[in-house]
Amino acid sequence: MDLLLSPQLLFSALVLGSTYALVALGLNLVYGTMRLLNIAHGDLIMVGAYAAFWFFTLSGLSPIIGLPLIALICAGLGLILYFAIFRHQLENVHPVERIEANSLLLFFAVSVIVQNVVALSFSGSPRAYRHLDEVYHLLGVSMTANRIAALVVAVTLLSAVVLFLNRSHYGLSISALIQNKTAAKIVGINVSKIQILSFTIGFAIAGVAGALISMTEQISPFMGFPFTIVAFVVIILGGLGNIKGGIAAGLLLGFVEIYVVVLTSANFRSILIYGLFVGVLLLRPQGLFGKTRAS
Amino acid sequence: MKKIVSLFTLLVSAFGVFAAQAADPVRIGYSIANTGLFAQAAPSQVTAYELWAKQVNDAGGLDVAGERRPVELVWYDDESDPAKSAQIYEKLISDDNVDLLLAPWGTPHHLNVAGVVERHGFPMIGNTAASVAVREVQPGNIWFPTSAIPDRIGVELAAMAAKAGVTSVAIIANVLPFSQENLQFLVPALESVGIEVALNESYPPDISDMTGLLTQIKAANVDGVIALSYPADSFLYMGQSQEIGIDAPFQFLLVGPTISAFSQAFGELADGVVTLGHWSPHQANWSRAKPFFDAYVEAYDMKPDYLDTALAYMSCEILQQAVAKAGLDHDKLRSAISSSTFDTINGDVKFDGVENSITPTAFLQLQGGDMHLVWPENIATAAYKAR
Repeated sequence: MDLLLSPQLLFSALVLGSTYALVALGLNLVYGTMRLLNIAHGDLIMVGAYAAFWFFTLSGLSPIIGLPLIALICAGLGLILYFAIFRHQLENVHPVERIEANSLLLFFAVSVIVQNVVALSFSGSPRAYRHLDEVYHLLGVSMTANRIAALVVAVTLLSAVVLFLNRSHYGLSISALIQNKTAAKIVGINVSKIQILSFTIGFAIAGVAGALISMTEQISPFMGFPFTIVAFVVIILGGLGNIKGGIAAGLLLGFVEIYVVVLTSANFRSILIYGLFVGVLLLRPQGLFGKTRAS
Repeated sequence: MKKIVSLFTLLVSAFGVFAAQAADPVRIGYSIANTGLFAQAAPSQVTAYELWAKQVNDAGGLDVAGERRPVELVWYDDESDPAKSAQIYEKLISDDNVDLLLAPWGTPHHLNVAGVVERHGFPMIGNTAASVAVREVQPGNIWFPTSAIPDRIGVELAAMAAKAGVTSVAIIANVLPFSQENLQFLVPALESVGIEVALNESYPPDISDMTGLLTQIKAANVDGVIALSYPADSFLYMGQSQEIGIDAPFQFLLVGPTISAFSQAFGELADGVVTLGHWSPHQANWSRAKPFFDAYVEAYDMKPDYLDTALAYMSCEILQQAVAKAGLDHDKLRSAISSSTFDTINGDVKFDGVENSITPTAFLQLQGGDMHLVWPENIATAAYKAR
């Protein structure tokens, strides 16, 4: 019982949950506004991680300071892919189910290409760097600086995105597009422009998530797939396209993972997480926070 | 006169190199996990193959029973699939008609390919396979230079821990096969030397946070922690154990600390961590060890993996020396590999059946950013130091 109330566990659950929420956020934006199933999402995280690694290794630039640059690189990659591949799909392919199916295959190709380009450029060997690894003690919790930084950046970014979606003109347009594309068009929203914005923001956030992850894990060209899986679990659990639901689901998954290990055994971690996932979908196919769409 | 002799020597050398390059290349085939689950691990093997091939070609070619011929590597991606690896070796032998074979990455791939080389009577030196199952493979066409076999690891690790004064340990083990096979032999070995196993927990390979496990280890108040880990979870353990404050003097991580990225990530924080490995460039009795290390660092700007890269390079050296003696004829080659003693970066290697009968099961320790052999004493390059 003492262990369950340990602030150390709470800190770890917050770090893990906010990381999951951030990892899934970009995927949710891209799916919510365009119905594109980006299974290369984890590879964008990998690109962000490599950008952070090389900036730090070659110039000593802290990943935290370099976040805007890393976000810009991934957003740029998003812009190139949007205009090269996905704009045509979004403008010419109907119905929405066909867009989903096509995007799945196209992003699979993107995933393989990105992985191999990075492997050919930098070799497939794992890489890592040492940054902000000093340990701080506060209120009975021991925290490495890189995990504190990851938590602070993730929470700030998640809050900023929620505020942006609720308060800004463009954010409200994105929210409208997520809710109903046809209605958004009728009220005069420039759908194409908002889709480009969502696409690039989604890619930029994935890059930021990768940079944060690179401070605490080894990176390699093939590291992305588990993050793609986590991102899909989170956004399906939270309700596809539901941004706040996705954030809540990410946090929930982090807490479940940390406390399940303590309450049961680490052996049951994957069984219980995916069991929870299947159970929620059986009871609420639209996800925990999703709404049933009117036919 | 001196200038004329030098010019003549240069011309003769140039002709020698030209002749080697002009000869038909010796085609050497292998499959590699270029994509899929093991793609992160495979580079440690491929870099050794490529470095060896380059060194051989730069030196005028492979000595094939007295004739110098250039080496050409032929490889295909097995997508980390052992069944596909076996198909690739069939193709390499039957369609590509390669002259020699190098090994794929990992135990399951080796075991699958063993049937193919046996069927074709095509000798192949393995490298990155480590399981008691290798002893069940039909001897004759495949050999395993590794000494990292789980039953021996268990006994030696228990002996080392006992000598280090460890009285109680916490064990955490990945559920993947190599970790579990080690766990199976380690627990009875520890108990037999009087070391109490205070905690024994397994965890899934996709674990993302070890706080719960490490908090339990801390509460167990043991003087030894043994993590039967793979590279990704070795990183996780190392990072989070600093945070939780695991200060057991004896800490062992199974796989991971030997790769270059581990030292880059943790530096002196990982000092004192013990891991699996039987090669170090610091062993002065192995004259080839340091030159290999230097050449690798120069070629790739990173240190080699002390386990997999060393094993992969050893397998190339063994093949090279056997071919120099026996040529490419499979029967002669098989006989040479089975009966000769080979001079490798890991010292002498000789096979008894499928196993290396000389290299002892050994452990490395990170000391001042370097990997030193600390067990057993007869090959140690430094004394073990408690963390």
